[in-house]
Amino acid sequence: MASADKPINTDVPEKDVFTLHFLQSLSNLRRQNTFNSPEKTNDRVKKIKKAAYVSMARAAGGTNRLWSRALLRRAAKENSKVVRFPRRKKRVTCLRRRRSNRRDPVEEEEAERLRNLVPGGGGMETSKLMEETAHYIKCLSMQVKVMQCLVDGLAPK
Amino acid sequence: MLEGLVSPENLSLSSMDMSVLERLKWLRQQQQKQVVSQSSDNSPELLQILQFHESNNDELLQSTFSHFQMLGSGFGPNPNMGFGPSREAMDGCISRRSSLQMDPVDTMGFMLKNSEENRTISSKNKRKSEVKRREEEKTEKKIKVAAETESNMKGKSSMSNNTEASSDTSKETSKGASEIQKLDYIHVRSRRGQATDRHSLAERARREKISKKMKYLQDIVPGCKKVTGQAGMLDEIINYVQSLQTQVEFLSMKLAVLNSELELALHAYFTNLPVVNASKPSIMVDVPLFPLDQQGSLDLSVINLSQTTSIEAPSASWETQSRSLFNTSSLGFHY
Repeated sequence: MASADKPINTDVPEKDVFTLHFLQSLSNLRRQNTFNSPEKTNDRVKKIKKAAYVSMARAAGGTNRLWSRALLRRAAKENSKVVRFPRRKKRVTCLRRRRSNRRDPVEEEEAERLRNLVPGGGGMETSKLMEETAHYIKCLSMQVKVMQCLVDGLAPK
Repeated sequence: MLEGLVSPENLSLSSMDMSVLERLKWLRQQQQKQVVSQSSDNSPELLQILQFHESNNDELLQSTFSHFQMLGSGFGPNPNMGFGPSREAMDGCISRRSSLQMDPVDTMGFMLKNSEENRTISSKNKRKSEVKRREEEKTEKKIKVAAETESNMKGKSSMSNNTEASSDTSKETSKGASEIQKLDYIHVRSRRGQATDRHSLAERARREKISKKMKYLQDIVPGCKKVTGQAGMLDEIINYVQSLQTQVEFLSMKLAVLNSELELALHAYFTNLPVVNASKPSIMVDVPLFPLDQQGSLDLSVINLSQTTSIEAPSASWETQSRSLFNTSSLGFHY
């Protein structure tokens, strides 16, 4: 709260990185299994979707961002994997909550909604939430473009 | 060092006056009873100011009254108001005249607050000093401008002052003029009509931070510029995020349908590529250099950026498609 205003840094890596990660994760899916097997489309869809999100999180900076970290953790939980993240320097969340910095009820309703949408939004102060949202939006749009391109490329002519 | 802050002609009382005076008296009693060593350096200064104030109080009030009478007009509608609110009104008028005047009474209030609350806050204040300095600059300009413009609108302003003073007793809308810098702690200048206690300052700083970030978001999210106000913008942003997420889901469904082709392409693609790392510049370099022995003769020059390359062999077609896909995804995007 008291720190000087650093310029907001939401650099997102270029599309190559996203594409690469996504294709990698898809190929992992292949290798894991049974893509040919008669699974229901729903499961396949879910797998692909999860792969998309995970690859996006990894491409976007791995554990450097709060939302990507939360995403990866969530995904790992579903797979019941144990994931270790490097310790951050500061533990901000506890202090913030105690101070109950988030006031301003009108804003907070909307912030609640945002928190539900953006992964990892629950533990953030509102200003931090905004930053994460910005980065998340950028990465999401990049991922969408990548997938769109893939789909277009593979569509039957 | 606080002597410079005190100049009797320029005193303007804030609406915190009543509370400040009460506090002054209270504190005087306190300090007469307690040992000086209880508090730190500020207490002797406090005492000085207290004494100064006691002596000058009457002069203060008289001077301000005279000021106000010079203004004339607007005090008419509220003849029965107590002393306090009238001082508020006067304060507003006077403060407009004297743009950046010192205000020892406010310092008093401020310092009193500081001493009452724990000095543990001082560290927080020091950290906040940067933020406050920026606010200072802003508010200084504002006050100057305000002083200039409003010297023309004396009558109206005093009217509005009175009505406001009568209706509102909370600190938030007090017509507090500029404040003195508290040299030990943070340097604060309040804006017009804003209180200066710590919490509201913190609130204000926080709100500014958030609004700055909202502006940044506004640039990113398309179609957000038309909507004004934070609520609308937040709605837009939320909708945008939701739409992006549904898009991802939709595209993944499509991909699942195109499953078989995808599989072929990926298989071919990834068996050929070397171990992949996420370094950006190397990606584009690796791809053209890689020998395509398994695919037969695929001329690398054939690989162009269009997605509709016509290739003979089906396996090769997948290969080039995926490769061209990759190329397009990296080069063909316009962003």
